[in-house]
Amino acid sequence: MRTSLIRTVAAVGAAALLTLATACSNEREGAAGSDSDGKGFAKDSLIGVALPSKTSENWVLAGDLFSNGLKDAGFKADVQYAGASTTVADQQAQISSMVTKGAKVIVIGATDASQLATQVKQAKEEGAVVIAYDRLITNTPDVDYYIAFDNFKVGQLQGQALVDGMKAKKPKGPWTIELFSGSPDDNNSKVFFDGAMQVLKPLIDKGDIVVGSGQTDIKQTAIQGWKAENAQQRMDSLLTSAYGGKKTLDGVLSPNDTLARAILTSVKGAGKPVPVVTGQDSEVESVKSIMAGEQYSTINKDTRKLVAETVNMIKALQKGEKPAINDTKSYNNGVKVVPAFLLPPVIVTKQNAAEAYANDPKLAPLTK
Amino acid sequence: MSRITDLQKNLFGGTTSNARQFGMIFTLVAIVLLFQIWTGGLTLTSGNLIAVVSQYSYILILAIGMLMVIVAGHIDLSVGSVAAFTGIVVAKAMQEHDLPWPLGILLGLLVGAAIGAWQGFWVAYVGVPAFIVTLAGMLLFRGGNQYIGNADTVPVPEGFRKIGAGFLPEVGPDTGYNNLTLLLGVAACAGVVWREWKARRTRLEMKADTAPLWITGVRLAVMLGVIVFATLRFAGGRIGTSLPISGIILIVLVLVYSHYTRNTIGGRHIYAVGGNARAAELSGVKLKRVNFFVMMNMSVLAALAGMIFVARSSASGPQDGLSWELDAIAAVFIGGAAVSGGLGTVSGSIVGGLVMALLNNGLQLEGVGTDMVQIIKGLVLLLAVALDVYNKSQGRFSITGTLMRPFRRDEPSGTATVPDPAPDAGTAKVAG
Repeated sequence: MRTSLIRTVAAVGAAALLTLATACSNEREGAAGSDSDGKGFAKDSLIGVALPSKTSENWVLAGDLFSNGLKDAGFKADVQYAGASTTVADQQAQISSMVTKGAKVIVIGATDASQLATQVKQAKEEGAVVIAYDRLITNTPDVDYYIAFDNFKVGQLQGQALVDGMKAKKPKGPWTIELFSGSPDDNNSKVFFDGAMQVLKPLIDKGDIVVGSGQTDIKQTAIQGWKAENAQQRMDSLLTSAYGGKKTLDGVLSPNDTLARAILTSVKGAGKPVPVVTGQDSEVESVKSIMAGEQYSTINKDTRKLVAETVNMIKALQKGEKPAINDTKSYNNGVKVVPAFLLPPVIVTKQNAAEAYANDPKLAPLTK
Repeated sequence: MSRITDLQKNLFGGTTSNARQFGMIFTLVAIVLLFQIWTGGLTLTSGNLIAVVSQYSYILILAIGMLMVIVAGHIDLSVGSVAAFTGIVVAKAMQEHDLPWPLGILLGLLVGAAIGAWQGFWVAYVGVPAFIVTLAGMLLFRGGNQYIGNADTVPVPEGFRKIGAGFLPEVGPDTGYNNLTLLLGVAACAGVVWREWKARRTRLEMKADTAPLWITGVRLAVMLGVIVFATLRFAGGRIGTSLPISGIILIVLVLVYSHYTRNTIGGRHIYAVGGNARAAELSGVKLKRVNFFVMMNMSVLAALAGMIFVARSSASGPQDGLSWELDAIAAVFIGGAAVSGGLGTVSGSIVGGLVMALLNNGLQLEGVGTDMVQIIKGLVLLLAVALDVYNKSQGRFSITGTLMRPFRRDEPSGTATVPDPAPDAGTAKVAG
C-alpha cells in the first residue's frame, strides 16, 4: 500500500514540476529602461512604499498617510517598514519583492541611503520609477526623483533659532554652546549641520559664540542611529569634561527633537540651568516641552504635505506627465544630479506654535 | 527488514539524515507551493528566485559554518560583527588605499582567518566557552567596525560588487536563456546521474542489496526534474541576469562542506567531538585542533558572507551584520541540528535556511509587515525544534514520527567510501 502511495507521490510530484516548468513562460526580455517617462501606466497599478523601521512617529504617520492617500487616488498600495534590527537587509528584500510584484513606482525612505544601489537598479530595469522620499539615495544613477523638505534651510533655521533664543535670554555674548548632529549614515545629517554652521560659523570665528568642548567637526558631533541614548551619553560626558564647576551652557544645537529631549534630560540631570535647545520634527513630547518653556524650538515639516506632494507626483507619472520639480542642481548623489521637489520647512517656537499647528489634530490642542 | 521499508529507503535515501531534516524538506515544498498559489505564481518566477538567492546566500553561507560550530557543541555569536568588521576593512582598503578588488577579497579572507584564529585560540587552547569568547567578539568587532568606519558608509568599487550583485555573462548563441546557467544545469544533471550510477556500482561490487532499477529511475527523475526546473528558471530571467554569482559561491561551498563533513576523517571528528568530547579525545581525536578549526572556519565564512553583503549593498555601512548570527543559528536548528551538538547536516541547515528565506520572501510578496514576519519566523523556529524534542521524548508513535519513519535511516548506504555515520544516530538518542 505504501509502495503505491510513494509511487503516486513521485508521479504527482514529477507531473507538478513539469506543469510548472511549462506553465511559467520565459521571462526573458530586454531591460525596460527608463523610458517610463511620458507613457504613464494603469490607474490601479501597484505602488510600493518602503520606509525605515518604526523608530519615529513621523515614519509611522507617513506610512498611514501613504496607505490612505494612494488608495484614495485609486492605486494599490504596498507600504512596508524595515524591521527593527536588520533594517538594511529588510529594506533591500522589501524593495526586491515590490519589483517582483510589478510595482510601477517605488517610493523609498531609505534606512541607509548608500546601500540600495543594487535594488534600485533592479527596479529601474523592470521599468519602475524610483522616488527617494526624505532621504536621497546615493551612488546610483537609477533614482528618478527626490522629494523632501529643504533640509539645508532646516539647518539654517535651527542655527538662527539658536542665536535668537540665546540673545533673548542673555542679550550680550559671548555665548557658550555645544553642537550635535545626526546619524552619520543619513545624508541629511550633514545637510542640516552645514546649514546651521552657515549661520553659526561667522559668529564662532568672531568669538561671539564659543563651543565649550571645542568639538566642531561633524565626526565628533554625530549621534549614531539618531539614538536618544547616544546623545544623552555624549552630553553627559561633555558636561563632565567641559562644564565642571560653575561654567554654564547657553545653547545646544540639536538636529532633531528626540536628541533635543535627551540633551535636556542630561543637562537637568547634571543640575545645570536649561540651555536654549533646537529641534526638528514637531514630536508630541517636544511640543509639550516647548510649551512648558524647556526646549526652545522645533521645525515643522508637515508630513501630511510631503506625502500629499509625493502622491501628486505619482499621479502625474501615472498620466504620463512630468511631475513638478523645483530644484535641478543641488542634489548630487555622487553619480548624477537628482531632480528634486523641495518643500519649505517652518520654525516653531513658543510664540508661533498655536499658529503653526492650527491644522494638526494631534498638536493643536497642546498649544492652547 | 521488509522489502517495503527497504524500498522506501532507497527511494528517498541518498544522504544521511534524520526525521526533522526530511520534515523540513516537506515543509519547504509546502511553503513554496502555498506561496506560489497565494501570490498568484510570483514565488517561482525567475526574477523572484534570483532575488531570493542573492538576498539570502550570505545567511546560508553563515549557516554552513554555524552548523559545524553547533555540531562540535559550540555557538558563535560574533558572525555578524565579524562580517561587518571585515566588510569595512575591505571597503576602506579598496577605497582609500586603492587595493585592487581581487586582493580586497583575499584581504577579507585573511582578516576572517586572523579573527578566527584569535577566537579559536581562546576556545580551544584556553578553554573559555565559545559563547563567552564570541559574545566578546561580537562587541569587539562591532566596535572595530565603527572605529575603523567612523560609523560611516563606505562605497566599494564596481568590480567588487560582482560577488554580491553580479551575474554570469551572456555568451554564445541566443537560446532565449542564459547559456552559462544552462551549462551549469547540464553539469549538475550529469553529476547526479554519475553519482547515482557510481553508488549502484559500488553496491553491486560489494554484493550489497541494490534497489530495483525503476526506483533509481524515479529518484533520478525527481532530482533531474528539480534541477531542470531550477535551471530554466534561473537561466530564463531578464537578460543580464542568471544564477547569481553569490549563489554559485554558495553551491560550491555546500558541495565542498557536505563532502567534508560526511566523507572525510576530519569532518567525522567534528561529530565525534560534539557527540561526546571526552570519548572522542580518548579515541584519539585531537580535540583542541578540531575546536580551533571549527571556530576559525566560521570566521572565514563570516568574512566571506560580510563581503558578499557589502558587494550586494554596494557599500559597507555601520548596520551591516546586525543579528545575522541569529538567522544563521535559526537556520541550523530548523534544519535538524541538536542543541547539545553532535547532530546535524550541512544540507539540512541549507534547507532550514531556505525555509526561513522563502517564508520571509513569500510574506513580503504578500505585503505582510516585518513585525508579523518576525512573529511568524519565531514561531516556526520554536515549533520546528519543539516537535523534534517532543517526538524524541515520547519515544512512541506520534503523527509526525509515523510520517517521518519511512525516511529515517538506520544504516548508511550510498557510496562505500562513507565512513559510518552512526555517530549521528547514536548521539541523537543521547542528545534526545
